[in-house]
Amino acid sequence: MSPAYAPLLEALTRLRGIRGAMVVAAQDGLVVAESLMGGVKGSALAAMAASLTGRATELSSRAGFGVPRFLHLQATDGSLLVAPASGDLVLVAVAGRDVPLGLLRLEMLRMAERLS
Amino acid sequence: MRAIEPWVLGPLRSFVAESSARVALLMTTSGQVVAQHGFTGALDLMAAAALGAAIVASSSELAVQMRWQPFRVMAHLGHRQSHLLVWFETPRGRWVALIVFGSETKLGLVQLFLDQLVDDLVAAAPPEPVQKREVLAADFERELNSSLRALFGR
Amino acid sequence: MTEDIRALSAQYAADPSSLVFLRLGEALRQRGQLEAALKVALGGLARYPHLPDAHDLYARVLTDRHDFATAFDAWDTVLRLMPHHIGAHKGIGFLYYHAGEPQHALYHLRLAAELDPEDSGLRTAVERVAGGHEIWDTALPEAPPPREEEARAATVSGGEPFVGLEGARDRLLLVDQNGLRLGGGLAGPDGRDVSEEAAAILAGTTREASRAARLLELGEWTHLTLEGAEVGACLLNPTTDTSLLAAMDAGFPAGQLSFFAERAAKAARAWLERVR
Repeated sequence: MSPAYAPLLEALTRLRGIRGAMVVAAQDGLVVAESLMGGVKGSALAAMAASLTGRATELSSRAGFGVPRFLHLQATDGSLLVAPASGDLVLVAVAGRDVPLGLLRLEMLRMAERLS
Repeated sequence: MRAIEPWVLGPLRSFVAESSARVALLMTTSGQVVAQHGFTGALDLMAAAALGAAIVASSSELAVQMRWQPFRVMAHLGHRQSHLLVWFETPRGRWVALIVFGSETKLGLVQLFLDQLVDDLVAAAPPEPVQKREVLAADFERELNSSLRALFGR
Repeated sequence: MTEDIRALSAQYAADPSSLVFLRLGEALRQRGQLEAALKVALGGLARYPHLPDAHDLYARVLTDRHDFATAFDAWDTVLRLMPHHIGAHKGIGFLYYHAGEPQHALYHLRLAAELDPEDSGLRTAVERVAGGHEIWDTALPEAPPPREEEARAATVSGGEPFVGLEGARDRLLLVDQNGLRLGGGLAGPDGRDVSEEAAAILAGTTREASRAARLLELGEWTHLTLEGAEVGACLLNPTTDTSLLAAMDAGFPAGQLSFFAERAAKAARAWLERVR
């Protein structure tokens, strides 16, 4: 993994309930750097996170909401969290149930700024 | 969407629907078309199959000569559309996929569902392989015309 | 698809806010394509909740679907908006006759006949209900008593799912699975109506959310929260075939947004149950 991203991803994955974190090239939906637990499919996570971010960005743009700075997909068995950084990179985390979402959100927003 | 062998259609249909690919062409490494979606002309299809197979063959040879790992995926990312050329193993031998896609989808998504397509093709291939026979020069034209009819419904 | 429906559909697609939905809905209804006619009627009602002809179209589609109670409410609304609407009098007259109340049917049908004396079919219907030609020399029967109204009784704002909720017109948007607006509205930070732009992409965004949750093995998705620089939005599906967007200014706590969205989803489900 690129040394630039390793500390950032390791800090995220140390948080309770986080099953994986990665930096993704949003344009292509490809992995730039990842730190994943077993069973988490990196290519799928990168592709879906990028695709969903693309849709949300388009919606946000059409509705005049401004540039999205955070996305949270909540599902019955876990969450997907995305924090776009500048340029083409997005920070992605996938979490199980019962995670400190507020803390996670703050951490991701801070880290996305560092990526920018 | 057309295929020489019907069992290919289901997996290919799923792939096109999920990936939002504009064009999909499956062929053998000798350039024989197996299935297609999105082509409107027989000549375009034949040219694409021949050239796609040739590119895979020449890039494979390049890797051999340079003692590199073989190139399994070749991607060209353009402004308006992009192409992906991929080879993979099936119970019917090595096939090549040429995929064309636009900005409505992403390279990562196309690759993700292409991996799924390969798994689906392997699962869907009938257990008894079709008996191969030598294709004689005299039969070639007949087989080609028959393939084109199957692929274009004519 | 007949040529007229194709042409009307193209016009409607090109300009969903035009009144062509009235002709398209009626053409679909006459061809028996009631699901499509209903969608078009509901879409038109959402945009024109005060248009008598929109409620009239809706009532005719409902009648064909044998939802006579809701059809009655819809025609009742028409008459509140326009007391001399011929179509509504004919429709309600038919419903009263169907319900075995010929006197009430006669009241409405005779009114309609007086409003349109050239309609020979209408005159025949009146005579059939009355049992003879002598009906024209008699006084108009008594008007039926006003129906007891409950909250659902096709009020003037019957086309709006979020009545009573804050942000009903500019912060809550409900669309069907085709991206057609069912109710509510959305305004951008500058006050511009962005309902149509948002509606067009909202259904696709929620479908992508569902796909992401499935492929990443996260279970069933429940909501997608999007924090923009100026506005936050929460997307969810009140029912399997509708999508809802609830928006709040970015200054509000993130946790409040999902509560707001859930409340709106509850109202949307109740409204959908009524109109369906």
